[in-house]
Amino acid sequence: MLFTPEVLTILILNTLFALFAIVAFVLSVKIFLNWNINSTSATQYELEKQSFLASTIIKYIFSIKVPLFLFFIFALDKISNVITGAMCAAGVVDATQTGTYLIILKIINLYLFAYWLKLHNQDMLSKNQPYTKLKFGLFILFFLFLMVEIVLEFTMFQSIEIDKMVSCCGSIYSSSSTSAISTLFTLDHSILLSIFYTNYLVMFIFYIFKNRYLFSLANIIFIPVSLVSLILFFGTYIYELPSHHCPFCFLQGDYYYVGYLIYFLLFMGTFQGLALGFVKESNRSYKISLFFNSVYVILLSLYVALYYIKNGVFL
Amino acid sequence: MIELKEILKQYEVNAQDTVTALKGINLHIKEGELVVLRGASGSGKSTILSLIAALSKPTSGEVIVDGERISKLPDNFASEYRRHSIGFVFQKYNLIPSLSVKENIILPLVPINLREKEIEEKLLRVLKMFHIEHKEHQIVKNLSGGEQQRVAIARANINNPKIILADEPTANLDEKLSLHFIQMLRELKAEGKTIVVATHDPLFFGLDFVDREIEIYQGTIL
Repeated sequence: MLFTPEVLTILILNTLFALFAIVAFVLSVKIFLNWNINSTSATQYELEKQSFLASTIIKYIFSIKVPLFLFFIFALDKISNVITGAMCAAGVVDATQTGTYLIILKIINLYLFAYWLKLHNQDMLSKNQPYTKLKFGLFILFFLFLMVEIVLEFTMFQSIEIDKMVSCCGSIYSSSSTSAISTLFTLDHSILLSIFYTNYLVMFIFYIFKNRYLFSLANIIFIPVSLVSLILFFGTYIYELPSHHCPFCFLQGDYYYVGYLIYFLLFMGTFQGLALGFVKESNRSYKISLFFNSVYVILLSLYVALYYIKNGVFL
Repeated sequence: MIELKEILKQYEVNAQDTVTALKGINLHIKEGELVVLRGASGSGKSTILSLIAALSKPTSGEVIVDGERISKLPDNFASEYRRHSIGFVFQKYNLIPSLSVKENIILPLVPINLREKEIEEKLLRVLKMFHIEHKEHQIVKNLSGGEQQRVAIARANINNPKIILADEPTANLDEKLSLHFIQMLRELKAEGKTIVVATHDPLFFGLDFVDREIEIYQGTIL
């Protein structure tokens, strides 16, 4: 087991999350099965008290867990310094069998947990607590995701061997990679960019028409589209290297930590947008979503434009 | 206006024992009524007031005020309800001794974020109503018991609430001051406020402006 201060922090927090989440899970099951807001029975009043406790626990777990994702990436980046062959977090992720699954699960959980927080927030805004049963029902499911993430995280840190040679990001994110990632490199850039900008345009149209379901759908599609575009196309302009496609290296100081900003913008924009399809909110959410997505698109496009202005050619 | 339906209230003493403060109470108070809840200490009078003020929730049953199910309100909405609808006068005044009369009275307005001018208007209204204009800048701990009770009732009225709840309001006052307080209640009733007083002070019994006296005995209405 690798024990760096960052790993220890994550493990201690995970232990606390697991303990509190178990308490919240037990309460959630009780609440989900017996909740009846119209009832004036002693059981219902007891459940109302317990729901306050359970939702407070869950709120704090998820509120810490969501930003902790960036800390996790930061931790992987630091660990890469001690692992032979690893140049950034990509090498650490690839160093174990569970790394890739963990990252995918973490991205999924990021959206699920943030959605729960949004649902909870909406629930607290209404006297009748219309989402209480739903939010605790969802937590029963999300609890499983949380526990799987904690187990995978523990397994990953436990199975890292610092002496074992691992691949660097240059070989993982390339067409010659032996993983499924290599299939992405068969995509044509012009098609990819057409999809990327069309997706953004469609989002903008649905924003004008205020169709929350279609706006949400456009945001859901924008997540993989923008990630693939970032890896295959825009990333190379950040690195100013046509062969470098790593989605982690630009999180480092050499690139002014711009990766944190890019992922933050993408998450804020797409999350606000997709949540609109599941929770009815004010027009402000449309604006927030479109603002972050627009800044994301402009920022990435600027890298390409600036490269062209400086060098007179595209990569 | 105020309706208590099948209210059961139990307090947990420890893991095994509970005390039943109210045993299936039903009570209906009309708008503008002044009701005196009488009974010995521990009979459940204060519990009824705390339920109407949404300071606590029943074990079972429900409290309805103005058609709204108060006992079902989440905490953030209960605070809002108290702020707008309830004025509470406590036996020990519950003032902040180191603050001035003005600061104590305007305290309930702090979360509302009113403009200075509106605060001054509201303050002036209650200072006049309870004849304490000249005490505005005095520190509360330097006031007499009767004056402190006036400040407390002024604070309870600063938001012009529809309901005034008073829990043993004259327990720390002598007879003369108690009669002054009763006079203030008479004026508030004349203004159309709904008033519920929990007391065992005989001065409140048999008053002409009291609409009802309700005897509470060991958690039940007699």
